[in-house]
Amino acid sequence: MRCNECRDALDVYVDNELTPDEMDDVRAHLAECAECQSAHREVVATSQAMRAHLVRYAAPDVLRARIRNALAEETALAERPAPKRRSWIQLVAAGVVIAAASSALTFAAIRYQSPSTRLTNTVVASHIHSLVPGHLTNVQSTNTHNVKPWFNGRVDLSPLVPNLDSLGFPLLGGRLDDIGSHRAAVVVYGRRQHVINVYSWAASDRRTREPVTSSDKGFHLVHWTSDGIESWAVSDLNAQELDQFVRLLRTVR
Amino acid sequence: MADRDVERFERTILPHLDDAYTLARYLLRDEHDAQDVVQDAVLRAFRHFHSYAGGEARAWLLAIVRNCCLTWQRRTRTDRNTIPLTADTAEASGPASDQLAIDSSERAVVTRALAELPPEFREVVVLREVEDLSYKEISDVIGVPIGTVMSRLARARKRLAALLGAGAREAS
Repeated sequence: MRCNECRDALDVYVDNELTPDEMDDVRAHLAECAECQSAHREVVATSQAMRAHLVRYAAPDVLRARIRNALAEETALAERPAPKRRSWIQLVAAGVVIAAASSALTFAAIRYQSPSTRLTNTVVASHIHSLVPGHLTNVQSTNTHNVKPWFNGRVDLSPLVPNLDSLGFPLLGGRLDDIGSHRAAVVVYGRRQHVINVYSWAASDRRTREPVTSSDKGFHLVHWTSDGIESWAVSDLNAQELDQFVRLLRTVR
Repeated sequence: MADRDVERFERTILPHLDDAYTLARYLLRDEHDAQDVVQDAVLRAFRHFHSYAGGEARAWLLAIVRNCCLTWQRRTRTDRNTIPLTADTAEASGPASDQLAIDSSERAVVTRALAELPPEFREVVVLREVEDLSYKEISDVIGVPIGTVMSRLARARKRLAALLGAGAREAS
């Protein structure tokens, strides 16, 4: 083997992608050629520097949650018959009709709901909206000491933001949301690929109400009031783990 | 799509989400863009899952992620050929920050060198050195012959070696 042939094959040799015979040829040539050896060392060093220092990223919990949600929506859509192609005018017209009909329906539905059902629906709607890309957090941080002060001056209470990372509920961040007439402080936690939103606002009285679990549209909710703060936790996480989360949230300081 | 297919998709494709996100991070160099594009890519993969004929699921997904990244870049076209100086500090707030602090300087040099490569060189380096794909898999992912993969990788490493050498001289 000549030097130029060896140089051309060096990268492939380092990547172990030559045929066994070719590997032997290169190895034999390297054993007796100092210049090719030095070229070989450089390829190995470059490859190793890349492997040692380039980070392999982990997909964030929020991304996993978003994907899970998108897949669920996709399968729900797929169960309906496939729509025919329509002109954009028809689409716009259909959109207007649907928007009008659905807002009328929503209006009708809201009028006949009890206040607590309405609140449940609003919280769930807000939770679903938060899963739209870019809507989950205003302050994105895994650090309690970044998230808790962020609410200062933005809401009239200081929400619970314990660090539950070691217990499997990483903090993802915080944001503000309007729930009915309340300006809610929302603290966001993750659990595997699930997102948990915890809404808090100042309660109308000082009564303590123990946690009550409910569900709506496949989401689980826990509702409680203590220390003058009314709170809702909502997630697609199973009810048992959500209960566990609420217990930790209320006890860990 | 039947529940069985959904389950098969979750079992074969979703385990490679970290790899998909890693590729998007290196190609787009922005974590929010990478999240959006990976979500889009996974959804596309789901829609075309019937055309997945078995075999290397990871390479199949990475090919879709790469295409989505290219489409995204063509659409946004704001030129992001320079890596922001804050990239390292932004990552330092992550959980691995202690470890990062130790090798941050060397890592920063390597990351910057990679960022200086033209995109067609950068992607083969990431697919080979970070994702650890074979030449055949890389050729499938980027849709070029294996010979082209070989020559691009060799040229990319020569450039990197030159950049790293320059970086090391600056540091000393």
